[in-house]
Amino acid sequence: MLSFIIKRLLHMIPILLGVSLITFFLMALTPGDYFTQLSMNPQISPEKLAQLRAEQHLDKPWYIRYLYWLKDAAHGNLGYSAAYKASVSDLITSRLWNTFLLSFAATLLAWCVAVPLGIWAAVQKDSWVDRLCSLIAFVGLSIPDVLLALLALMFAAATGLFPVGGAQSSLYDLMSPGEQIWDRLHHLILPTIVLAASELAGIMRQMRSNMLDALRSEFVTTARAKGIPEGWVIYKHVLRNAINPLLTIFGYSLAGLLSGAFIVENIMAWPGLGRLTMEALSAKDYPLVVAGVVMAAALLVIGNFIADLLLAWSDPRIRLK
Amino acid sequence: METSPQPSATEAIAKADLAIASPWQVFWRRLRRHRTAMFGAVILVILYLTALFAGFIAPYGYERQDRERFFHRPMALRFQGGLAVQQYEPAPGSSKYQAVKGEVQRIHFFVRGDKYNLFGFIPSTLHLFGSGDPKHPINLLGTDQYGRDIFSRLLYGSQISLSIGLIGIVLRFGLGMVMGGISGYFGGKIDSFIMRFCELIMSIPALYLIMSLRATFPANLSSTQVYLLIIAILSFIGWASSARVIRGMALSLRERQFVLAARTLGQRDRHVILKHILPGTFSYVIVAATLSVPYYILGEVVLSFLGVGIQEPDASWGIMLNAAQNPEYLTNYPWLLAPGVAIFITVLAFNFLGDGLRDAVDTKS
Amino acid sequence: MPLLEIKNLKLDFIAGDKSLRAVDDVSITINAGETVCLVGESGCGKSVTALSIARLVPTPPARYVGGEILLNGRDVLKMSKTDLRGIRGGVVSYIFQDPSASLNPVFRIGNQIKESLKLHRPEKATDEEVIRLLKLVGIPAPESRIKDYPHQMSGGMQQRVMIAMALASEPKLLVADEPTTALDVTIQAQILDLLLDLKKRMGMSILLITHNLGIVGDMADRVAVMYAGQVVEMSPALDLLRRPLHPYTKALMNSVPKLSSNLQRLSAIPGNVPTLGNFPSGCRFYPRCPSAQPECANTMPQLVEVEPNRWVRCLYAKSL
Repeated sequence: MLSFIIKRLLHMIPILLGVSLITFFLMALTPGDYFTQLSMNPQISPEKLAQLRAEQHLDKPWYIRYLYWLKDAAHGNLGYSAAYKASVSDLITSRLWNTFLLSFAATLLAWCVAVPLGIWAAVQKDSWVDRLCSLIAFVGLSIPDVLLALLALMFAAATGLFPVGGAQSSLYDLMSPGEQIWDRLHHLILPTIVLAASELAGIMRQMRSNMLDALRSEFVTTARAKGIPEGWVIYKHVLRNAINPLLTIFGYSLAGLLSGAFIVENIMAWPGLGRLTMEALSAKDYPLVVAGVVMAAALLVIGNFIADLLLAWSDPRIRLK
Repeated sequence: METSPQPSATEAIAKADLAIASPWQVFWRRLRRHRTAMFGAVILVILYLTALFAGFIAPYGYERQDRERFFHRPMALRFQGGLAVQQYEPAPGSSKYQAVKGEVQRIHFFVRGDKYNLFGFIPSTLHLFGSGDPKHPINLLGTDQYGRDIFSRLLYGSQISLSIGLIGIVLRFGLGMVMGGISGYFGGKIDSFIMRFCELIMSIPALYLIMSLRATFPANLSSTQVYLLIIAILSFIGWASSARVIRGMALSLRERQFVLAARTLGQRDRHVILKHILPGTFSYVIVAATLSVPYYILGEVVLSFLGVGIQEPDASWGIMLNAAQNPEYLTNYPWLLAPGVAIFITVLAFNFLGDGLRDAVDTKS
Repeated sequence: MPLLEIKNLKLDFIAGDKSLRAVDDVSITINAGETVCLVGESGCGKSVTALSIARLVPTPPARYVGGEILLNGRDVLKMSKTDLRGIRGGVVSYIFQDPSASLNPVFRIGNQIKESLKLHRPEKATDEEVIRLLKLVGIPAPESRIKDYPHQMSGGMQQRVMIAMALASEPKLLVADEPTTALDVTIQAQILDLLLDLKKRMGMSILLITHNLGIVGDMADRVAVMYAGQVVEMSPALDLLRRPLHPYTKALMNSVPKLSSNLQRLSAIPGNVPTLGNFPSGCRFYPRCPSAQPECANTMPQLVEVEPNRWVRCLYAKSL
């Protein structure tokens, strides 16, 4: 098991290096940089600009810049954001946390709703429950995240029950710790629901078909033949087998989840990685873009790693291979 | 030696029965019996027909602005001496409109109006319907912040959304089949190189990569250029996952007797891949392609919505939704969400059809 | 009183709006300590009959239409769910064809055996008892194997685990549904020997389901032959093997390769087993029967005792 973990961990390093290289290359292809806009400003002299560019090694070819970046990144320094006038590492930490929080809350919500519904639909196959769940799944799969986020904004603006965007109120700093926690939660609810809703359908359908597959297995007859009560057969013998393929799905769905979070963040003004990357792209603030993309990839790769671990933990056939 | 369980007689006869009908006949028979798939197919046919005849069906051009009527609400249909729409007037002290009792505007059919090119090259001014009176236009779905008719823009926008996916899947699965086929058939270094590259692409959450790729091109491209760019970017990202699946299928097909036979006969690799390996992946490709059309539709929507896709004044469902981003607009003028509903219906229809295709090719059930 | 008495069991499968008779008027008795073989080709209804003893056929798609299944004198078809759970494992235990699919892949084998113990002999649900059972079924070094998962064992060992699990509850009747079909030939004999040995030691009855007439002589006291959902012949095993009465039984025996006889072509039974819902009227074997008479097409024969203890379902049983 330990060698499995180490192998998977080592596997992540070349991927993240490759991702940073690709992003760096793309940013090198991008026309203009942050200082192109500054050059319009007559108060900044061309010498000053050249000096600023040189500080960021922008006067050198991109692969040299990449080596500089790698050297700094190895020391935990992801560069300096000219647009925000702050260190990229400082900027990205809180954004990374926000994206993680949103994705985690949405995953939790989606699973807590989808897994029981999927089980219910499978056990009651072809009943009205099953049909309703299948309809919900189709609607959920087809409703675009953009529309859902807009509807949520509309709901918030019309009812006033929830804040319209953002992660905290403007008076956040003046609040007591208890109020602060509530304020954060209050802002988190709507984006979480929107993101979870788009995840829910896929998980539910998968859970249903896993359950049906497991219910058809011969070990179910064995379990019934032993005299095990039906509920126990389903929730112990069938469920444990139906969960395993779902953990693989968890890994696959992460990429979609992070893309969904990108949309939700940008529409609902949730200050996460996606919004930051979008802002950095329009400001042509390249160190920030690279850091944003690499961090998003890191979330995905680590998430996949955790899914693999969970699967190995849950399925002896994989663990003992 | 091992005695295998005998296949049941029922199975044997069922197989014999299927062997008479060709796989395609079986596929069609099963698809036609799939009610939701047929429902989806019918909706798609209707949508594509309206997109094809968008200029004719739309009462106005997508650019026509009516400076008297910003954010006009959708007009209710009435039946009063023929088909007509309710008339409205600005509500006092507000930017909203209210109905004027009893006043309607008749809908006339086959009227002359804005110029357009049918199928892009037949100039015409004939429209399916209109008011025939420029002072009293017919806005079935209301107007936007520039006083443009949302119904007309929706139709013009559907030309982009509905075509982008069809061109996209050809590119994506063409690339995916070639790369996946090569990777799985040859194996070795080529395989591991292609697969590492796919893995790399797939380790970046799609939208981050899409936006970075988009940034490498100038911001002020024409709508046609952006349209092609979106297809190129989405296909460049999407082929990776298709290629991985096709590679897996190619790997197992490579070991099958008929492929070995073809190779023993000394057929060229190119011939073996094209004639023997890739046809074996068709059933997967058809299903996956249908289900990935929405990916392109939504890709255009997100890019245009975030302001780096199709540009005003051109009409696309994404750029139209962009106007709805303002929460104040959204609460007061909810009809701005009409393109969202259109996206939903289109994607739902594709999902229905794709689901039916999947059931139809699934030989297990 | 016999341990098990199946009387005129009728069972349908519902497919859409059609209902297909899979088990038709089947009667079988098993006495305490007796081994009965149920023989027939695949799809003849023998597995469904066997599963019915503990009402294990899922309803729907199946539906019990008539008959009784008396286990220790009580009708299984009329039992409450709670009573049924007592019967399952408690009175009748099962082992199935494919042990690798019949064991739950995600639980340790020790736990799966212990589960049976907890349900039926809770006072004995200990590791020691599990080890004793594993030893009983001939698993070497059982102490080290109770923590194994099913996929870590060979097919033969997995089937021994299944047997241990079935025996854990000390049942009166062990139903073995083609227990050796999925195993290597060398292992098959070992498993059958084990079953015979265990039967002697524990004094239970066995219902052995097989499509292989070759093992009947070694195992069975009595044999029931099934064809197209019906019992066509039921006899003491040796009588049946020496002198089969029903044309179908004869045809089955002729299709078994014999080393002793001169090498001839094996005689296959012409035609196919009729599928569910396509049973011919009259005698179901008549289209394939070498000695069919015109009357066979019209009259459904009944199972009648033509000689003491020998029951045959054929209009011309006595004259053949």
